[in-house]
Amino acid sequence: MYSPENNEQQVLTALARGDRAATEQIYKQQYPIINGWLIKNGGSADDSADLFQEAMVVLFGKVQEEEFRLTCSVGTYLFAISKHLWYKKLQRQHKEPTRLFDNTEGDDEGYGHPAHEDDVNIHHEREAHFELLDNALDQIGEPCRSLLQAYYHKDKSMQQIAVDFGYTNPENAKTQKYKCLARLRKLFYTMQSK
Amino acid sequence: MNANNIWEIAESYLDGTMLPADVASVNARLKTDPTFAAEFNENINLINSLNSNGKQKRFRTMLTDIHNKQLTEKPVKKTFALPAYFWRTAAVAAGVALITSIGTYSLFINSANKNASQYSTISREVEHLKNVQKRQQEQQNAIIDSIKKKNAPVIPTSEVRFTGTGFAITNDGYFATAYHVINYGKFDSVYIECNDDKYYKAVLVNYNEKTDIAILKVEKKNFKFAKSEVPYAINNGKASLAAQIFTIGYPKDDMVYSEGYISAKNGYNGDAGQYTLALPAGHGQSGSPVLDANGNISGMLTAISGPEEANTYAANSNALIDVLEPIRANMHLPKNSKLAKLSREKQIEQLEAYTFSVKVYKK
Repeated sequence: MYSPENNEQQVLTALARGDRAATEQIYKQQYPIINGWLIKNGGSADDSADLFQEAMVVLFGKVQEEEFRLTCSVGTYLFAISKHLWYKKLQRQHKEPTRLFDNTEGDDEGYGHPAHEDDVNIHHEREAHFELLDNALDQIGEPCRSLLQAYYHKDKSMQQIAVDFGYTNPENAKTQKYKCLARLRKLFYTMQSK
Repeated sequence: MNANNIWEIAESYLDGTMLPADVASVNARLKTDPTFAAEFNENINLINSLNSNGKQKRFRTMLTDIHNKQLTEKPVKKTFALPAYFWRTAAVAAGVALITSIGTYSLFINSANKNASQYSTISREVEHLKNVQKRQQEQQNAIIDSIKKKNAPVIPTSEVRFTGTGFAITNDGYFATAYHVINYGKFDSVYIECNDDKYYKAVLVNYNEKTDIAILKVEKKNFKFAKSEVPYAINNGKASLAAQIFTIGYPKDDMVYSEGYISAKNGYNGDAGQYTLALPAGHGQSGSPVLDANGNISGMLTAISGPEEANTYAANSNALIDVLEPIRANMHLPKNSKLAKLSREKQIEQLEAYTFSVKVYKK
């Protein structure tokens, strides 16, 4: 049966799969709100686009969890996460967030919620981890870099990769992929331990 | 088990294609073979990371695509308020180059501000060069003067760090400015540049960090801002909402006039020591006097908030009187304004000698 909650849960489940229609729906509903807020608080259009993307990625990460549960609506969640991300960014730039004019106290519910802060912290840790992984990937050399990127980033099948990279069959491509993974592992964990 | 095999196992273990019996034997081996367990876990973690990193990258690409498609849509159609937002965004983006930094609160010019936008950084360097040249010129003039008259004005030899505006409290050298102008970065010396183009060194007399007011005094003996007493009095009590006000200050080398009205009786976050003003103000105007239509002091500019809000804040005259209270005994404060019946142009003319640029130097 239709209800706003049901609908929202469906949208989130679709979002977790990376469904475009669901993402677009959330974008259209929420982006104007966050953009408006950020512009009022001294951000630029580019800042809004970046901030919204970051908040969406946090949400995306959140809905990947098997038993994800939002304690509030998608809108409230994204808004709270956006604020956290923005204030953190300002703090990093040594700007004082307390001096920011903020006239949105009324719809402030959720901001300052420790769970949201946790989500943002987890997000930052994950980003650092991914960055390290990307660095390792950049250093392992060809054809490994392109091959692993084709498989993991571009989501290509082993059949497609075998054709693209000139392997006689997918099994050979797969063998090459495992060799590449072994090299990546060595490099990545060496970098991580530093 | 060869090196490739362990990856194959890890992959099928993760994606659920492994037979239940094999899963059980892997789980059993993980418990008994720590070397295998360590390697296997590393592999699992790496594949997981690669998978989620890739998934996130594709999600980001899609988001960017959605965002760009929305932007290119004609801003006339559709139902919700997007067009207005994008209009505003575009206007702000164009304007942002002119605004010093996001969330800038204080109104003084900070020559060392690293967060300033490219545009203002450039303009400041030009400004800085000009200052150096000007100072060199002035130092030369001073030397020549000192030879001629033997009473050279002191010219600061270090770089200007901050500038603000100040206004006279008494004719014999007491004046007010914003506390953050002089305190920021622990000043070494404060000079005022009077409209005779001379610099005078000043010392701090009293201040209140919270209300952001500082009272200073020109050091020079027998100093006078002008021939007659200060032509304005300080208002007692709060001004009315919508009261017309004006200010003069030094956001640049020339004096700038602006006018507006009191838009709220309290200031930033409801601060009762401040007014909120609808009055255009910029960096360098901290410490400017806010005068009512009769030419009495209603307050002193201290801050602005965000570019879009464009609110200006002034410490009110009560806060000013509070800071003056302990030192009031030494002062002769005018009780009435001499400016009440004058046209605005004449008022400004009278005020000019009592309003000046405040420059803070650091070695």
